[in-house]
Parts: sequence; C-alpha cells; structure tokens
Amino acid sequence: MNTDIQSAVSILMLTLLMQSPAVVVQAAAGSGPGSTNNSATGQQQSHRRAPKKFRLENSEGAVMRLWKPDLSTTALTAEQGSITLPRTGVDNYHALVVEKDWGYLKESLIRYQYMHGKPSGHSTSELTAVEKTTFEIVPDPVPREHQHYRSNDSWNFLLRFRGAPAAQVPVALETSNGSRLNGVSDSNGLVTLRIPDDFSRLDAEERDPRTAEFSVSAEMADAGIIYQTRLSAEYRVDPGRWQSLGLGVFITGTGLVAGGVLGHRAGRSA
Amino acid sequence: MNPVKNLSAIRKLVQIGAFVFFVYGGTLTGYYLADKVSGALPALSCAYDMQGADLCTLIPFQHQMDHRLGEAIAGGGNLMMGLMPTLITLATFLVLFVFLNKAFCGWICPLGTVQELLHNLGQKLGLQRRESLDPGLVKRIRPVKWILLLLLVFGFPLLAGIGWVSHDLGDPFCKICPSRILTTLATGETSQLYLDSSSSILLVLSLTADFLFGLTVALALSVRQPFCRICPMLALHAVFRKLGLLRLVKLGTARCDRCGLCAKACPMDITDIHTEMEKRDVTFEDCTLCGRCVEFCPDKDVLQLKYALLPVFSADPAYFKQRKKAQRNWEKANLLSLLRGGQKLAGAKRQ
Repeated sequence: MNTDIQSAVSILMLTLLMQSPAVVVQAAAGSGPGSTNNSATGQQQSHRRAPKKFRLENSEGAVMRLWKPDLSTTALTAEQGSITLPRTGVDNYHALVVEKDWGYLKESLIRYQYMHGKPSGHSTSELTAVEKTTFEIVPDPVPREHQHYRSNDSWNFLLRFRGAPAAQVPVALETSNGSRLNGVSDSNGLVTLRIPDDFSRLDAEERDPRTAEFSVSAEMADAGIIYQTRLSAEYRVDPGRWQSLGLGVFITGTGLVAGGVLGHRAGRSA
Repeated sequence: MNPVKNLSAIRKLVQIGAFVFFVYGGTLTGYYLADKVSGALPALSCAYDMQGADLCTLIPFQHQMDHRLGEAIAGGGNLMMGLMPTLITLATFLVLFVFLNKAFCGWICPLGTVQELLHNLGQKLGLQRRESLDPGLVKRIRPVKWILLLLLVFGFPLLAGIGWVSHDLGDPFCKICPSRILTTLATGETSQLYLDSSSSILLVLSLTADFLFGLTVALALSVRQPFCRICPMLALHAVFRKLGLLRLVKLGTARCDRCGLCAKACPMDITDIHTEMEKRDVTFEDCTLCGRCVEFCPDKDVLQLKYALLPVFSADPAYFKQRKKAQRNWEKANLLSLLRGGQKLAGAKRQ
C-alpha cells in the first residue's frame, strides 16, 4: 500500500451499521462488545417486516440509493445520521449503496439487505451482476434466502472495478466484535474470507441469538484517484456451538443398526 | 431383455437423471431460490441442498403457514392475504402435478430413487429381503402419512405462526425429513447431520431426523420404499390424484382372482390392485405410478398406464414373459450366489 493510500485510510469517513430494533435487548453479560442479542424469537419474527434502519456517520454530501430486485433505484436521504429503508413491497435482496466523492477520493458503502413483500420474480444474481458503483465488493454469492453469514463460515467476495474483476487488491475484514483479518484478491478478483468466531462463549450450550456486524473493505488507486469501498453485513454465532455432528452421526448409526435388525427380522419372516 | 423395451430400466434411467438434476442442477438453473425451476416441486427435492435445481412444495407450505397465514390470524390481518401465498404455491404444485400425477414419486423423487437403489444393492449383496410386507402392517402404517401431512406440514407451522407453540415447530417436517440429510450429504455437505441441543423441541426433532435417516437407509436394503410409505408428499398427491393426466387403469377379468402378481410386484404393497374388480381407475392413494404392476401383469391390457385417455404402457403376455425372465436373471446374480458358485468351483477342483 503506498503512502497516498495510507493517508486516505486515515480520513475514511463513512460507516454504515445496522441499527438494532428498539425492542432488542443489549448484549447479555459476557457477549462481545459489538454484538446484540435478539433473544426472543417472537420479537425477531415480528421485526422481519419492520423497516430496516442504519446508522450512517459523516453522511453530508453523500449520495444514497436503494436498488430493488428489478434493478430500479430509489434515492434516499439520511436524517440525523440514520437511513431508514422504505418498504418496497417486494421480497428479496435489495442493495443500499452510499457514495461520497471527495475529489481525490471516492468512497462507497454497500449493503445487501433482505426485505419482505410480494415475490419479486427476479434473481439476486441480477442485483449482484449489475454495476452499482465504480469500485465495489460483491458477495459471491449472497447468502441464499433463509441462509445467514455465520462465524466460522468461509465466503467468497468479488472485487469489481468499472465492472471488471480487480485482481491483487488487499482486502480487510473487520467485525464489530473487534476482529480483523486480511486477504488479497486473486487473478479473478475473488477473495475467500472466513468470518472469525469472535463471539464470547456462553456458559450453557443454548442457541445463541447474538448478532454482530462485519465489513469487508478494499481500496485501490486509478488515474490519481483513490477508490475505497466497503461491504457490510450481519453475522450470527456458529451453530456448531449447540449442534453436534458427532452425536448426529452416532444417532444415525443407531438408526442404521435398528433398521438392519428390523430388516433382517422382516427378511427371515418372509 | 432389451433394456430399451424394459419399463423398469427406462424408469431407472429417468430416476437417475432426475436425481442428478434436482440434487446438483443448481449449477444450471442458478443458486438463489428465485432461480429454481418451480419452488413447489411435487417431490422431495430439498431447499437445504444449495446445489439443487428445485425445492419441494412442502417447504413453502410450512413457511407460509408459519409466516403468512399464522401471522395474519395472530395479528388480526386480512386472512385472504395471508392465504394467498399458499394458494399460489398450491396452484404451481397443481400445474406440475396434473402433468405427471403421482409419477413424481415413482419417477422423479430423489429420496425414492435412493431407496430403490439401496434395495437393489441389498439384493446384489444377497441380503434377506422382504418382497411384500404383511397386509395388516401396511394398513396400520397408511394413516401415518396423513398424520405427518396434517400435523407437521400444516398444523404445527400454523400454530407456530399464531404463537401458540414454539417457533421451533415452524418447519417440523423439514427438520425430520431424511431427504434433507440425504441430498446435502450427496453434495458433500455435513451441516444437516447434527444433534441440536439448543431446545428440547429441536433436540427431539434432530434426534428423530438422524434416527429416521439411518433407519430408512438400513431398511431400504431389505424392505421396499420404507420412507415412501409414511411420506406426507404421498398423502398430498393422494388428495389431488383425480386431477392427474397419468393414471393406472384396470380392466379386471376372472383370471385376476387367481393371479395377484400385480400386488406382489407393487413396491408399496397395494393389494387392492389385485382385488379391485369394479373401479377402472386404480391409482390408489399409495400408488407411485411406477408401472411395475403393469409390467408383471400376464394378461393383455388388463392393467394400463394411460395418459389422458391414451394408453402409454399396457400389460402384455409377451412382455410379461421376457420381463419375468429378466427379473429372475437379475435376482440370481448377487454376491451371495457368486460366493456360493466360487465355493462350489473350489470344491470341484479339490475333488
């Protein structure tokens, strides 16, 4: 990274974080510093269709757009440092794109957000394929409907500059729990990152509903202009903490034995 | 027997093709749910399989009971709006179902295919197999599929949506479905084979799922189609079977009384195919339209698979003779007989 880019890093202004619904209880004792606790399933359910609200810092002069699944866009404005995504009535992923032009530096933030409504009839691949800003990080793929980012999972991210893959670009993943890891995009512009398992341990092996935020960021220079981009998303606790593969295999083995015995008896009585 | 003329061989080919397409075909259709073929397939093609080409209709039904109708009832909202997604899914299901009727079970379902292949494997290993289950047992098992359909596909998800039971019961059939474990394992994914200790409900459901999966695999080696007999998809098919264009038709004769080969050939042990003498349409609730009964019927045109009014495959004495011979040869060739043959040969050499 050259000195120009290093100085640009120090003035990175925009941050985008999902705001927890009002009812969400703050992280339970022992949870990570940036995690929230969606403890009540009912509450979680009732907020599936609630408007999504994001905190946006230093948004003066920023251009905000919401991309719908049909690739139409709606201009948004920030009020008192937060953006509320209007209900579009359409199901599927939408993309919130924030851009800010500092002259020598162009910043962009992207977030793919699932919104509920009538079936859109459009695939998320259409939304990821379209160029939404000059330099962008595209999840490859976005977690499928009803799937989520989870700690310990590895995901691919595609770096795209002017619609073409951006190779050999340093990438950083940071979480609201304080973890940071680095990677570099390959010749196809792809980088695989493993979301850190940085939620603190709870005593009991119960389902852990905490969530936290991660962001993947990168920057590159072209024709004297520095481009910075950041993709943010929510991630959850690795279900491996309360789901055991070993015990699952053991129970399946028990079923196999039981089936073998029953089948053998059936065969003998035939 | 020429495999091109052997209905079972043709069916096996279709089944394997369907298995490959529905388990791995997402690379052709696309990754996201909107890319899938229908989103309401009348066969157990699992949405948890990230590489799959489609998903079974029982998934949206559970989801819509929980999140649409249940929430509409609980929130005092517009019930018609809450029911609309279910009606759309049902309409999509019916469009496909009318086309092939219950043949989705016998020709398309990935779990049905694997159970048949396992049974073939059991036969090839020379395991003791039970060709037909006791009619009393079959009769006792039959209501289970209806109970699973009513409780696990519609009942509990609806109650979860209303808020009367835990949300862990929002998709209880998916949580115990062996196809979820099978198809994900087939793609090299072990994430669905787990024991979930986070709540007592999930513990029971995951325990049931794992045990049922193991039981189905082991039983399929010696008993024909063990899970199909309790599958709620079979029950759903039974509700709409009169709408399907493909039917099993019988024109009973006096010789039927003394035969019964059709019932013996049936992988679902439907004895009514043999005993029924009045009804023309013998697409019974457990029928999977596999056509084996037609293959093993020795009398001309007594049993037929008809598409609309056109016969597509009819019982024929010449076909029956060839098919029976082919079956005998197929069953003779197994590991056990091979070992016995080897022992005999070694004994003869020693003498």
